[in-house]
Amino acid sequence: MNKETFLRTLRSKLSYLSRSEVDERLAFYEEMIDDRMEEGMTEEEAVEAVGSVDRIAEQIMTETPLTKLVAGRVKPERNLRAWEIVLLIVGAPLWIPLLIAFASVLFSLYITIWCILISVYAINIAFALGAVIAVPCSIYFMCTGNVMPGVFLLGGAFLLAGLTILMFYLNVLISKGIVWLSEKLVLWIKSLFVRKDKDRS
Amino acid sequence: MDIQLKRGLLDACVLAAIKNEDSYGYKIIKDLKPYVELSESTLYTILKKLEMSDMLTVKSVELNGRLRKYYHITQKGLSRIDEFREDFKEILSIYRYITREEGENE
Repeated sequence: MNKETFLRTLRSKLSYLSRSEVDERLAFYEEMIDDRMEEGMTEEEAVEAVGSVDRIAEQIMTETPLTKLVAGRVKPERNLRAWEIVLLIVGAPLWIPLLIAFASVLFSLYITIWCILISVYAINIAFALGAVIAVPCSIYFMCTGNVMPGVFLLGGAFLLAGLTILMFYLNVLISKGIVWLSEKLVLWIKSLFVRKDKDRS
Repeated sequence: MDIQLKRGLLDACVLAAIKNEDSYGYKIIKDLKPYVELSESTLYTILKKLEMSDMLTVKSVELNGRLRKYYHITQKGLSRIDEFREDFKEILSIYRYITREEGENE
């Protein structure tokens, strides 16, 4: 990819930022590429060293606060006409609840993800508790002459202890997955507010 | 190194890179390379943040028919490095605590 294409592609992916901000960022990357070329790299190599456009765009979006993304999305490019304002006000009973509903759905999605995490840990703790409590119970049974139920309980205790350890490792994996998932979710929510149209210029 | 831990150090790293003489983006990345791997977008964010908080000033210099931005450290930036020196003492004592041998009480 040459410098020209790199800068053009990056610009199209940053259309949610203000014009001056995009220009400033692009100037920064251009300088980086030029400096590398001056040092002896070819144009292609220099562009490659700066990184892939997608990764850069994703990183910039992650760093940009959601409020700014929304502001960029909502800000009209021209002043609203009178009838549009009237329509907005008249339509308020319709679009405000819809907006609240949309936000609630996203919020509940987020809570659900974290509930999964809480519940797997709860199951794990239940297993551990079960194992710990079954041991004295089995001793009690054995001491009072009920050997068979006692042995059965002891076996159950070992089973639960084993499950606890196994599940603990599983939980660590699940937690990592969920942290990753919620990060992706935030990124996805942000991307909803990014203009899909190509160059705004 | 742990990313969280590194993030806190990056501001000080960038300031240190321009402490002795004015520098520009690519040179900062090169100078820091032996210590921290810094991506362009991360550097941009840090420079912007430091500029906003008056720790450095930016000057465009023309060279070979194009512009290159040079970053110059301010008094405030210099005192931030000093502050970091103080912070580091605290970090060091935490480090000693983390890596202390069993039986030591300090």
